[in-house]
Parts: sequence; structure tokens; C-alpha cells
Amino acid sequence: MPIFKLCLKIFRKNWSSIGVFLVIFVSLSCIFAFSYSQSSLSKGFTQERAKVALISKEKTPLTEGFRMALAKNADFVTLPDQTEKMQDALFFRKVTYILVIPKGFTKDALNDGTMKMEKRVVPGSAENAYIDSIVRQYWHLATVYAAHEPNLSETQIADHVKRDLSTSTPVVMHDQHAASADSNFITGYFNFVAYGLTIVMIVGIAAVFIVLNRQDINRRIICSPIHSISVNLQIFLAIIIFALFCWTGFSGLGIFLNLKNQITAPIGYYLLNSVVFTLCLSSISYLIGNLVSNRQALSAIANVIGLGSAFLSGAFVPQELMNQTVLKIASFTPTYWYVTANNRIAGLGAGNWAETKSILNDMAIVLAFAVAFLILSLVIGKRRRMYA
Amino acid sequence: MFLQLFRYRLKCLLRDRLLIFWTLVFPILLGTFFNMAFMNLNNDEKFEPISAALVTGGGANDAIFEQTVHQMSLGKDRLFNLKTTASKHQADQWLKKGKIKGYFTDGPLIRLYVQETGISQSIMKTFADHYRQNSSAFADIAKANPEAIQKGLLDDLSQQRNSVKEVNTGGAKPNNVLNYFYTLIAMACLYGSFWGNKEVCDTQADLSSRAARLNLAPVHKLKLFLAGCCADLLIIYGEILILLAFLHFILGIDFGTRTGLVLLTAWIGSMLGLTFGTFVSAITRKGENLKFAVLTAVTMAGCFLAGMMIGDMKYLVAEYVPALAWLNPANLLTDAFYSLYYYDSLNRYLINLAMIAVFTIVFGFGTYLMIRRRKYANL
Repeated sequence: MPIFKLCLKIFRKNWSSIGVFLVIFVSLSCIFAFSYSQSSLSKGFTQERAKVALISKEKTPLTEGFRMALAKNADFVTLPDQTEKMQDALFFRKVTYILVIPKGFTKDALNDGTMKMEKRVVPGSAENAYIDSIVRQYWHLATVYAAHEPNLSETQIADHVKRDLSTSTPVVMHDQHAASADSNFITGYFNFVAYGLTIVMIVGIAAVFIVLNRQDINRRIICSPIHSISVNLQIFLAIIIFALFCWTGFSGLGIFLNLKNQITAPIGYYLLNSVVFTLCLSSISYLIGNLVSNRQALSAIANVIGLGSAFLSGAFVPQELMNQTVLKIASFTPTYWYVTANNRIAGLGAGNWAETKSILNDMAIVLAFAVAFLILSLVIGKRRRMYA
Repeated sequence: MFLQLFRYRLKCLLRDRLLIFWTLVFPILLGTFFNMAFMNLNNDEKFEPISAALVTGGGANDAIFEQTVHQMSLGKDRLFNLKTTASKHQADQWLKKGKIKGYFTDGPLIRLYVQETGISQSIMKTFADHYRQNSSAFADIAKANPEAIQKGLLDDLSQQRNSVKEVNTGGAKPNNVLNYFYTLIAMACLYGSFWGNKEVCDTQADLSSRAARLNLAPVHKLKLFLAGCCADLLIIYGEILILLAFLHFILGIDFGTRTGLVLLTAWIGSMLGLTFGTFVSAITRKGENLKFAVLTAVTMAGCFLAGMMIGDMKYLVAEYVPALAWLNPANLLTDAFYSLYYYDSLNRYLINLAMIAVFTIVFGFGTYLMIRRRKYANL
């Protein structure tokens, strides 16, 4: 099988150009894996917690009571009282609400004064509205107690407010939605793989076709005593082996990185989905290999297709956070359907046939893309051979 | 002579379509992808009135609660987009279909029904909690001091005083998506190093046949190199200006109001990119592929640490490894654009600019020391 051996030789020679990219991909995957912490999937209702920096320039029973009351709905972040540091923390969302209690505020508030606490927030954000209402409620109750029960000391007011704040509305939670895609490392990883696999497959496979389509080599193959069916089968075999090798590497890395997390979704579906996607990428690479003859341009094309499809389809940013028009445009790429299937797998409950059917539909669309690209490549390939 | 060398070098460089792709087209494409992927990110945290429902008719209604919920559903700054129904089944259907985030049931004990945990549901719960807390305070005060009722206790409880004022964080909004675009400009500046690399490869006789030919010409080598560098700089700066124009006018990326300083930063960034390329090319004497690999790897690693792939990264590095932030040229450029946009004061911007200038001088002088007076025993 000389053509098959030649293909494998080209793959081997080509590893160095894929190497730099692989190092970047594996490093990013590892960083994501180590920075990922699995959120506990609690069954009941839990209130959101905002990242708050509370800088109090006085220490009174009420400010301490306020700190404790706020702690029920906030994770406190320690920040120095420096404008630039506060601005930085707010810009990068290390904190979403910075509250400064000025000196003398408690006394002023209880005497119906005009002094106000100062907040720095992300303007118009939901967390701002949420924490604002909690902050105002505490001081509202304190001032009402001070106005109507003037004999109470600050400590007593703080106790009364604490007792009032302990009343809570019962919440009934209906059947909980399944874990969203971004709360699940393995889904995030397999979405991210779309980017890695696309570039490696295009650079790896298209490079083989650039060599095979060179006029002298192409003519040499045509005049050799090997049937064209055998030539094609040998090339296909080599592509399948390369694709299998890439798929095993990427999937294996994902499973390895996910060992510390519990898997809530069926891993088999992720693997099946990525196999179908790898097949599709093989035929896309076949097409690109038949269209491009410049080896240097290949890396540019692979990067544009890999990054473009990954960004548009929600491989990097969760689809639910993306613009609907962008997603509509993305639905013309197989990556979109691959990512959609992964997200559906993340929310797959046991024995839910309707959901399973949607996943299989998405995979079928990816497969249809694969067939379409393959037919297109075979037609273009045949035309090239005719004019060789 | 210098002008002639400059003109021919410029013509020669502009014919390198692959480099034009990586240094101009690729950043523009990446900017477009960023914009498409991130355009909705900040909308997600924006507060919108919550779609909620109130189920009335569950026995003894709490008229004040109903009135309060209705009040909070009026006007531009309303908290809820409220639907009212007498049927709990109907409210359940709305909840199931995602038409509402949750619903309150009226009656002696107010309950909140939700389908999932989230910020909207938390705000709904906080609202109901506050109503209950006010009722509890009313009962508490009225018990201890019954006269308070005549003195307007109910009014005082229902009218919440605003005890917080917002301090402006500076002229600009804390829009964290912008940092991705600033790292992209930093990347484009550092990709300018590819031109610097090409310059060294085309003037060092042991690196390319074109350089060997040029070394035979009776022209001062420094003049030749400087003419080439000027042509490179013109191309890099032109590319960065096109990128800035594309980001600002087409994608609507905000750079603040200090346009002159933004252009100055782009100029210094172009010089940094060029000298970085000549320096790396001069110290790496092996093949062109290795030089490209080193330049790409250093640029991408720098951009990663400046927050190109993970937005928080820039903050984390500045917080925990500040020295690395000051030694990373990509971060210095990103931070210069960030400071211009975000801070009123120019202090941090000027420090960044000074650091970039130091890097440029070190790279430029390093290149000069390494490529001057080269002699070749054979080629």
C-alpha cells in the first residue's frame, strides 16, 4: 500500500507544524481544568450571593449587625480604600458592589440626617438592584425603630432589626432544570475541542492533499498500475487512522482532566458526538486540501475556520449568552450543531427519549454536513485529476 | 539614497501577502469574531424588570401586599412585569413555559414559587422578605409603643429612605468586554514583530539569499537596515491604525476621549513590535520557522496573561504576580489602552508608556549590538 504509507509519512513529517498549536491547546485545557471548581448541584432554592466589598469607617453595633445581615447574601471581598484598586476590581468583576460607610453615618441615620453611604457599582446591573434593596432595608428598619422607639439603644435597635430580618418567605421549587452547559466541565471541554480538532485536522489532512495534488506526484500516481478505487481507499484509510488518532488524543485528554469531577451526563454521548464531528472535519479537510495548493496559506485558513466557527457557534462562550442572530448565522456550520448536541447532552435526564432524539438529530445534521462536503470534495478532486 | 532604499523596501514588503494576512487581516477577523461572540455578555448582567405573577383569591387576601406588588410593577423603574391570575394552575403553566420567573401566592402566608435558582428569583424572594420584615417590625413597634401607629408608623415603614448614593467610578463604564479588544490590539502590535523578523532575515547574509545579495551592494549596512525598519514601521503603524478604525467605527469599541494619546500608544506599540521582532530574529540564528514559532509563542503567552482568553487573567496577574504584569509587553500595551479608557488620571498610563519605551530601547539596542559588523567567512 504505497499511497497509504506515503500519507502516514506526510502526517509524521507534519507534526512539527501542529506541535505549537497542540502545546497552546493542551496548556489552555489544563488551565481551564485546574481553575474549574464544580458547583454543588443543590436540590433546593438558594439565594444568589453577590461579590461585595464593604469598607466601614466606623464600628458601631449597627454597622456590625449590618455586616452580618449582608453576609447572608454576599461574599465579602477585601479591597483597599484606593480609588484605582476599586475601579480595577469593578471592571474585572472581582466585586460587583463596593459600599463605603462614612464615619458618623450611624448616628446621622438614626437622627434622620442627610448623610449617605457611598456605593460604586456596575451601573444598571441586576446585582446592583439586588444588593441595593438589602442594604436599604437594613437601614430603613433601623431608622424606623429609632424614630418610633427613641429609648432604644443602638445595640437594642440592632437586635430588633436582626429579629425582623430573620423572617423569611417560604420558596417552593418546581422540578429543577438540569445543569446548564457552563456548569459542567466535560461539556465545556468537548465544546472547546471543536476549536482544537478543527485546526489539527485541517492542517494535518489538507497538508497530505497539498502534496498528493502536486502535478508531478499526481501524474505519477495516475500512471501507476494501481486502480483509482484502491488509491482512494488507501487515502481514506490513512485519513481515518489520523482522525482516530486525533480523536483518541483529544477525548482521552478530556476524560483525564475530568477525573476529579463527578460526571453527571452520559460520557458515551459526548464521545459519539465528537466521533461524528471528527468525521465531518475529515471531509472538510479533504475539501480544503483539494482547494488550497499553498502550504503556508493552510495555517491561515485553518486558524480562520477553527477560530471563526468556534467563536460563532458557542464553543468558547455559552450559547445562551450569545446573540440570536449570530447563532442563526452559526447554524450554517457543523460546529454549531456539534456544540448544541453537547449542551443537550449536559441536560440529558435518564430515559428522556425526546431529548435523546434531539441529540441524535443534531448529530444527523453534522453527518449530513460531512456527506455534503465529501461529495463536493470528490467532485472537485475528480475535476483536478481530469485536468492534471 | 535613503529614500530610494525606503521606497523599494516598502514595495518589496507590501508584496508579502502572508505577512499582511497575519498582521492585518487576522486581527480584524479575530476582532469580528470577538464582537459576535461577546456582544451580548454585558446584557446578561443588566437589570430588566422581572416577569412575575401574582395569584390572588387563595382565601384571605393580603390587600397591602397586593397593592405593594402592583405599585412595584408601575413606571419606568418598575421591579416587575406583572401578570395576575386567580388560578394557581395557570401560573404553573406560565412558569413551566418560561413566561415568568416565579409567582407569589397571596393569602395569610405569602409563598414564592420558582422553577430554578437565579438572580431574578432572588430579587423576588428579597422583595417578599422585606414585606414580611416590615410587617414584623410594625407588630413589634406597635406592641411596645401603640402611639406610634398614630404618629405615622405605617407610612414610615412603607416609604423606604434612600441611604445610599452612587459615586461615579470615573468617566467610563466598567465594561469588561473591552479588555478583550485591547489585548487584540496588543497582539496586533506584537505581530508587527513578524515584519522585524523579516527585516533581519533580509539583511543578514547568512539567513537568506536576498540578504547575501544586498550585502554585496556598496551601501552602508546601517543605512540599509534603518531604511528597511522605517518601511516596516510605516506598514505596522498603518495596519494598527486600520485595526483601530475598524474596531472603533465598525464594531463601536470605546477607547475613551483621549484620541491623540490612543494614536501615540499605537505608535509606541508599533515600535515595540518591530524591535521585538528584530531582537528575537537576531538572537535566534536557526531557521525562519523557529523564529516564527518563538515570536508567536511569546506573543500568545503574553496576550493570554493580559486576559485575551480568560478575562480575569489580567487582574489575577496584577494582583498576585505584579512583577509579571510589568514585564509582559502585551500587558503593558493592554493596560495603556485600559488606563486611557478607564481612569481620569494619566499616572498609570504614563508608567505603562515609559515601560514600553524601555522595552523598545532595550530590544532596539540589543538588535544593534548583535547585527552590527557581521562578517562571513563563507556563505
